[in-house]
Amino acid sequence: MLRASILRARPALRSIAPAARPQWRVAQRFYADEKKPGETAIPNPAPTVPPSNPTVSDGISKSSTVQTTSSSRTAPVEQPATTPPTGPGSASVAPDPVQAPKPKKKRRIRRFLFQLILLSTLGYAGGVYYSLVSDNFHDFFTEFVPFGEDAVGYFEEREFRKRFPGRAGQPRLHPQVSGENKVTIPGKSGLSSRPAEASGSDLAGKGPHVSAVKESKPVDPQTSAAGSASKGAQESKKEAGHKEKPTESSSHDLLPKGSSKAKAESKAATTPTATASTPITQLDHLSVPSASEPVVQDVVKIVNDIITAINADESHGNKYDSALNKAKSELSKVVADINLLKESTQKSAEEQIKAAHSEFDSAAKELVRRLDVQMHDQETHWKEEYENERERLSATYKEKLQSELDAAHNVYEQRLKNELIEQSIALQKAFSASVRKQVEQEREGRLGRLNELSSSVAELEKLTAEWNSVIEANLKTQHMVVAVESVKAALENQVVPKPFTGELAALKEIAADDPVVSAAIASINPAAYQRGIPNSAQLIDRFRRVAHEVRKAALLPEDAGVASHIASLAMSKVLFKKSGLAVGQDVEAILARTEVLLEEGDLDAAAREINGLQGWAKVLSKDWLSDARRVLEVRQALDVIGTEARLQSLLVD
Amino acid sequence: MADETPKTTAPIPRTTRPLSEALLNEKWDRCASSFLIRSGLGLSFGVVFSVLLFKRRAWPAFVGLGFGAGRAWEECDNSFKRAAGPSKDGLRVIRP
Repeated sequence: MLRASILRARPALRSIAPAARPQWRVAQRFYADEKKPGETAIPNPAPTVPPSNPTVSDGISKSSTVQTTSSSRTAPVEQPATTPPTGPGSASVAPDPVQAPKPKKKRRIRRFLFQLILLSTLGYAGGVYYSLVSDNFHDFFTEFVPFGEDAVGYFEEREFRKRFPGRAGQPRLHPQVSGENKVTIPGKSGLSSRPAEASGSDLAGKGPHVSAVKESKPVDPQTSAAGSASKGAQESKKEAGHKEKPTESSSHDLLPKGSSKAKAESKAATTPTATASTPITQLDHLSVPSASEPVVQDVVKIVNDIITAINADESHGNKYDSALNKAKSELSKVVADINLLKESTQKSAEEQIKAAHSEFDSAAKELVRRLDVQMHDQETHWKEEYENERERLSATYKEKLQSELDAAHNVYEQRLKNELIEQSIALQKAFSASVRKQVEQEREGRLGRLNELSSSVAELEKLTAEWNSVIEANLKTQHMVVAVESVKAALENQVVPKPFTGELAALKEIAADDPVVSAAIASINPAAYQRGIPNSAQLIDRFRRVAHEVRKAALLPEDAGVASHIASLAMSKVLFKKSGLAVGQDVEAILARTEVLLEEGDLDAAAREINGLQGWAKVLSKDWLSDARRVLEVRQALDVIGTEARLQSLLVD
Repeated sequence: MADETPKTTAPIPRTTRPLSEALLNEKWDRCASSFLIRSGLGLSFGVVFSVLLFKRRAWPAFVGLGFGAGRAWEECDNSFKRAAGPSKDGLRVIRP
């Protein structure tokens, strides 16, 4: 619609303002391009705002020009003045003065807003969609766009539900299964740290304690000591002493020294405590370190119990102090008496022990002496018995030895006799054997002569046989020589080259698997005996023809074309011919030498000469050369076979 | 012997390859014949062209003759040059 209006406006514009055309076109094009719906979809809503603004703030000159141009017209001149931001736009787009500008402007604003919203929505939707696609953009979108995270999250949630329909209804948090009450935990619940109180009183016993520190400490070990004493009546005195001592030391430490009376044996002291409120003095417990007797222990315990009872009673008012002190001193006296008694009894016991020791020593000495005497007597007795026994034993042994010697002597004599008899028998046997041997020797002498005769006869037979074989071999070699000669003759006397396979086969048959002959035949090229080889006269004849041709190509350079061939052909006609054993490596000299050699019959050297040719000359003489080689091969093979035949005839003897 | 030899002569296939000394002559023969044929052909073409296109001028006939002769020459030259190298016939080629 907008574009339509613009289009409609254009012709009028063009007709009206031809002078201000360039500026107009610039401004108008810019505006019209921006307004196109096809293009406005691309940029964000934010850039859509500027088009109206730049037209205003682009520059004073532009706006002034616009104003000037619009001032030339009638109606829209006032519009930019009233509303500056939309002024130039209206001036460009709505040139038609007939239309009412006010509703148009309103509608335009509405339209602009609508577009803005549409664009932003589209942009937002696009952003959400792209953030679902691209992770990078997702981060950007959720971070910088307001409510972007919620929107993206909603779509992700939907996708998640679509993908896992089983868990569709469940929220991700742990659900509240049944209608149980929610437990609210107060803020101050739970553990809280608190500094530990410095408790000076380590109260072990129950009941009221006026001064817990000072009273409990003496009581506690005392009761334990008393308990241990009552329990272990049979405990050793060491243990008891050990138990009692700590109480003594602790009481010393705890009580003020001025108030405690120190005694040597028993520590019974009235202790005026430091409690300010009551003047009652606490009684000290009795402790008797040297009271090892269980009875005494019991007594001490009883007294201590009484003291604790009195101490516990606060209302006694030191009434029992004197009585208790007296009792304590008495008790200590009793203990001392008991100790004295103990010492006296110990002394008497030691004396008795010493007397017993001396008695025992004397008795032991007496015993030892008696034992010695007895042992001596017994020793002399045993010596006598031993001597007697030895004499008896020696006598019996001598007798036994004598009898055994006699027996051995008898046995030896018997054996000697037996040996003599055996020797005589052996001598008789040897005599008979020698007699028999003599007789047989005599007989075999004649038989041996007969054998010699027969062997000589056999030798003679062998000799004759060998001679036969010699004759046979001779015949064979003669055959071979004849065959070789026949082959040679066939080769020489042919008019045209003929195959000589039959002659060779015959030769091979005659040779009868002679390795040398078969090797020589194998060395011949099969083409030679299948096609035949020319004899020397034919070779020379052919050589003449070949030499003529070679001479024609004698002057050819390398890689010669038609022209050089023609030149060579022409020039070879006027060449001087060489003859004899010419010197040099040119073609003419080689040909002359070859001819001489061939006439002399030296085919080998001739072939060598021809082999020295180069280029076209060599190509032309190739066939003749191969023929000559074949002839040489055959000749060599036949020579070898003939030599072999001669060797065979020589080897026979 | 005389009776045996005709029996033993097996029909050995003679190769059609010419003798080596006749190689050059054969080439000459071919060259001459090709020269004649090609120059004749060229001449006839030239004559036809001169009659048809060039109002019976003489030069097209000579040009045709020259073409034919030149072709024959070139061919001959080529054949001579190719055959100059030592032929590899009957040689064993050892390939690595």
